[in-house]
Amino acid sequence: MQKIDLKDGIFKGLPIYICALILLSIGLILSILYAVTVGSADLSVEEVYRVILYEIFHIGNPEKWGSGATHDIVWLIRLPRIILAVGVGAGLSVVGVVMQAIVQNPLADPYILGISSGASLGATLTILLGASLFGAAQVGLGAFIGAMTVAFLVILISNFGGRTTSVKLVLSGVALSSLCSAFSNFIVYMADDPDRFRTVSFWLMGSLAGAEWISNAWILSIVLISVVFFITQSRILNLMLLGDDTAVTLGTNLQRYRRVYLIAASLMVGFIVYASGVIGFVGLIIPHFVRGLFGVDHKKLLPLSVLVGSVFLIWADVVARTILPNTELPIGILISVVGAPIFILLLFKKTYSFGGKS
Amino acid sequence: MNQIEAQSLSFSWGDTPILHDVSLSAEEGKFIGLIGPNGSGKSTFLKCVYRVLKQNTGCVYLAGKDTRKMKYKETACLLGVVAQHNQYDFDFSVKDVVLMGRSPHKSVMERDNAEDYRIMRETLAEVGLNDFEKRSFASLSGGEQQRVILARALVQQTPILILDEPTNHLDIKYQLQLLNTVKKQAKTVLAAFHDLNIAAMYSDEIYVMEQGRVCAHGSPAEVLTEDLIYQVYGVHSHIFQGVEGYPYIQFIK
Repeated sequence: MQKIDLKDGIFKGLPIYICALILLSIGLILSILYAVTVGSADLSVEEVYRVILYEIFHIGNPEKWGSGATHDIVWLIRLPRIILAVGVGAGLSVVGVVMQAIVQNPLADPYILGISSGASLGATLTILLGASLFGAAQVGLGAFIGAMTVAFLVILISNFGGRTTSVKLVLSGVALSSLCSAFSNFIVYMADDPDRFRTVSFWLMGSLAGAEWISNAWILSIVLISVVFFITQSRILNLMLLGDDTAVTLGTNLQRYRRVYLIAASLMVGFIVYASGVIGFVGLIIPHFVRGLFGVDHKKLLPLSVLVGSVFLIWADVVARTILPNTELPIGILISVVGAPIFILLLFKKTYSFGGKS
Repeated sequence: MNQIEAQSLSFSWGDTPILHDVSLSAEEGKFIGLIGPNGSGKSTFLKCVYRVLKQNTGCVYLAGKDTRKMKYKETACLLGVVAQHNQYDFDFSVKDVVLMGRSPHKSVMERDNAEDYRIMRETLAEVGLNDFEKRSFASLSGGEQQRVILARALVQQTPILILDEPTNHLDIKYQLQLLNTVKKQAKTVLAAFHDLNIAAMYSDEIYVMEQGRVCAHGSPAEVLTEDLIYQVYGVHSHIFQGVEGYPYIQFIK
C-alpha cells in the first residue's frame, strides 16, 4: 500500500498547499458558525443566526433581534469570545513560529523568553497591590506592561558583550523568568488574601471570557498586520533556522532582523496576554504539527499555522465552556491536559520527531 | 588579479591571540590548501575571510574589493562556504537547503523562480544526488549531507569556494567524490585540510599554519618535507614521490 506522506507526496506541491488553505478557511468559518450555537444559555440555532444576520446585514426585526437577552448573549458574549479565540489562536501560533526561528529551537514557545513570567508578575502586582489604578482593564494592562518589560530586558541583556545569539536570548530569558517568578511568589506569599490569589491564578490559567469587540478589533488588527509582515520575511525566517554563521555565508546578518522580530513578537504576546491571560502550549504544538505535515518553509508554515491555530482554539474554547456542568474549565488547563499527551505521542511516532526531523 | 588576498590578519578571542599577521593570496582558478595541527588557527582564519568573524587588524580583499566595505550579500555573491558541521534542529528537505543558496541573489521578498529550481536540480545532479530533492536532509548519511551543503554553495554561483575541513568524518570514497566535484569547478578554492595526503592530492599550493602564523607556503612538493612535518606536527614521516605526481606521506610510529 502506498503510504501517503503529506510532506513528500501529495501535499508537497503548490496546488495541494492551496487546497489545504482553502479547506482550512472553510473549516474556520464552519467552526465559528457551529461554536456560536453552543453555550450554557438555551438558544435555538435559528435564534442565534437571526441575531447575527440582523447585526451584520440588518435583516429581520430590530425589536426582536437587535436587543434583549438573546441578542446580548449571541452578539455581546458568544461571538466576541469566538472571534477572540480566532485572534489568540492565530496570534499564539505565529508568535510560536517566530520565536522558534529566533531562538533556533523547535521547542521554543511564545513564552520561552520569560515573557509569561513577566506577564504574571505584572498581573500579580496589579491584582494584589495596585487595586484599581487603571480601572477594569488593570490586570491585562499590568500583564502587558510586565510582558513588554521582560521582552525588552531580554533583548538588552543578550546584547551585552557583542552579538545577540539564540543561546544568550534563552539564558537571559530563563534568568529573568526565575526572577519574576520569585517576585510574584513573594507578593502572593506576603499578601495572604485567598480571594485575590484566586483571581491571579484564574487569570494565569488563561480565559477568553473577557472578550469585547473593541479589544478584539485591536487583537485582530495586530495579528493580521504581524502575519502579513512575517510572511514577507519568510526568506529570512528560513535562514534563521540554519543559524547565524550559515546565514552570513548566504549573505544575511541575522542580528538586526532578530531584534526587530523579537519586538514584533513581544508586542503580539503583550496584547494576547492582555486579552486572554497566559494560554500555554498552543504556540508550541500548532507550529510543530503543521511543520510535521507541510515542512519548514515559512511561506507555507505561517498561513497554515494561523488557520490551524484559530480552529484549534475555537474548539478548545467550546470544550472548555461545555465539559463541566454549570461552570467553565480554564482553557489553559484544558489545553495542557489534552496537548501534553498529544505532544508526547508525536514525539514517539517514528516518522515524526522535532519539527519533522527523523 | 588575486581572487583572495588576505593581508596581515590578526584576531583574538578576548585576550587570547589566535591569529598573528596572517597573509595569504590565491590566484584565480587555483586550489589552495591550508594545513596545520588542531588549534593552529585554520578555521579562525577562514572565518575571518568569509566574515563570520571580524579580524582585529588587517584586511581581506575578494576579487580586489575590501570586505570591510562590502555588504554581506556582496560577499555571498563572491564566495560560497562548505563548513564542517551542518546539523539542523529543523527538518529541511534537500530542496529547501539547496534553494537557500540562491538567497544572495534575491531581495527579501523575492520568490524562487523557475530558473532557481533549474539551477538547484542541475547542481544536485552534479554532486550525484539526482533524486534527492524531496528527501529529508536529516535522514541523509554524513556524506550525502555534505554533498547537499556543497550543492548549496555551488548554486550561489560564486567565483570562490571556501572549504573548512569539508571531508571530516567522511569515508574515503566520499572524500574523493566531494573533492573531485570541487576540483572540476572553474573556481578559486581555499580549503583547510586535516589529511595531508588529501591536501597534497588536490592543492596547487599549500599554506602551513602553526600557532596562528603561516610558517610555510609553496607547491605541495616544496612544502611537504619530512623536516616541516616534524617541526609542525611533531611526528616523523617518509615522503615518497607518488606515481600520480604528488607527494605521498607515510607516517612513522
